[in-house]
Amino acid sequence: MPLLELSGLTAAYGAVAALSGLDLAVAEGEIVTLLGANGAGKSTTLRCISGLLSPTGGEIRFAGQVISGLHAERVVRLGIAHVPEGRRVFPGLTVRENILLGASNRRSARAALARDAEEMFALFPDLERFADTLGWMLSGGQQQMVALARGLMARPRLLLLDEPSLGLAPLIVQQVFRIIARIRESGTTVLLVEQNARIALAIADRGYVLETGRLVVAGKPDALWNNEDVRAAYLGGKRLSEESRTR
Amino acid sequence: MAIILQLLFTGLGIGAVYALVALGFVLIYRATNVVNFAQGQFAMLGGYCMVITTVDLGLPYWLGIIISLVVMALFGAIFNLGVYYPLRHRSFLPVVISTIGASILITNLVLAIYGPEPTTLPGMTDYPGISFGAVFLDAQYLVIIATTLALVLLQYVFFEHTMIGKKMQAVSQDKEMASLLGINVTGMIMLTFTYSAVLGGIAGILVAPILFVSVGLGAQIALKAFAASIIGGFGDVPGAIVGGLLIGVAETLGAFYISVPYKDAFAFVLLFAFLLIRPQGIFGEKIAQKA
Repeated sequence: MPLLELSGLTAAYGAVAALSGLDLAVAEGEIVTLLGANGAGKSTTLRCISGLLSPTGGEIRFAGQVISGLHAERVVRLGIAHVPEGRRVFPGLTVRENILLGASNRRSARAALARDAEEMFALFPDLERFADTLGWMLSGGQQQMVALARGLMARPRLLLLDEPSLGLAPLIVQQVFRIIARIRESGTTVLLVEQNARIALAIADRGYVLETGRLVVAGKPDALWNNEDVRAAYLGGKRLSEESRTR
Repeated sequence: MAIILQLLFTGLGIGAVYALVALGFVLIYRATNVVNFAQGQFAMLGGYCMVITTVDLGLPYWLGIIISLVVMALFGAIFNLGVYYPLRHRSFLPVVISTIGASILITNLVLAIYGPEPTTLPGMTDYPGISFGAVFLDAQYLVIIATTLALVLLQYVFFEHTMIGKKMQAVSQDKEMASLLGINVTGMIMLTFTYSAVLGGIAGILVAPILFVSVGLGAQIALKAFAASIIGGFGDVPGAIVGGLLIGVAETLGAFYISVPYKDAFAFVLLFAFLLIRPQGIFGEKIAQKA
């Protein structure tokens, strides 16, 4: 039985359909990546899973339990942590406070939480000296580290990551993805939404390509990467040509 | 010199009341991004609770205070459920109109029940006050300043040193993210309204012995408290306190040195001056960076 299973998921923003019948499964311990152009429905999928958006149809099962339509506060208690696009670090709270709040879904003693926070500083050593710095003062890369650490503080079985590479320098992106690979090694399942297909496929076990709310193709990273149509249409072929034009 | 000190003392006392109501404005604004125009009415209700319990029913003062605070806490919760909660997914304007409607309703309910006659509440203590040479520190003003100081300290400890305070801050900064972390957003907003109503109630209880308790009390305090929160930098907690004290001192000095009939105008002169010279308020810049 997969850890996460979406069947026939549909979602809409007002009258605009965002997902039209998506089927997807993630097995325990996998990194699965969702690829596709802007507006393909990748973030919408994550928002449905974490309870920020109520699906209009279909079903989401987590560990055998139907969770579609549950409120976000309930979903995170079941063991799904969502690190949304844009990092969303609380600007007026310190790094340590941001990280500690990540455990709001757990009923743990203060001492245990403080210990877990120290563990996060071990995993993200760059953050330690910013522990008492306010969120808004951090760089994009530092904020991404805080967002990841905050997500991990929930002790999730499934971590939903939305565009962790967005707006980061290439070296920082590599650092972030090394940490994501480490997170999986420690036993956490990861569902990763990414614009940067190359780096996402490099660490993923499987990938799904979406287009306007529909699944186009799914498979192993190599197969997806070598599929010429997929590459050209969905995996940044267009973006590469745009980039070369701006240069 | 003695006169200036005397006026400063009086100004800080009345300013502390404005600060408490301004604090209520700021807390609700930060939690919900909405200005609660019924915040002054919370103060008026606090004053009337005291009159009803201690004067009409003849209960001891301390019991009146406890009952009034409990009533205000309940009122804050009901206010949240009736005025804010149904509109929580709407934009700024519908909620603001809803709070204005609530404030009109509250004012007129009190008018219907209690009538237009202003009434008085005795001070908290029979002890008149302390004299320092020519400066007389009135007991009620001392109570106001001490209570405000204690509340500000308590609130600081609560927000900065407890997990629930941090959660309330998280909710005020990003509700969606807070709910993703498993923070009970609805509960935190409920707590904010309850606390703001109690804060407003305390302001009313404190100021009632100095001013008359009347249906106009709410609007009178709220306008100045609102000006105070703008002068301080809207949304800023220390700003609300400093702004409140500043207005209290300005209107006391203005009344003494310039004109008593125009006493209520000085707060707004100060507000206009700030809007012209420093529209972001005293602590305004910090918020721009926070946002």
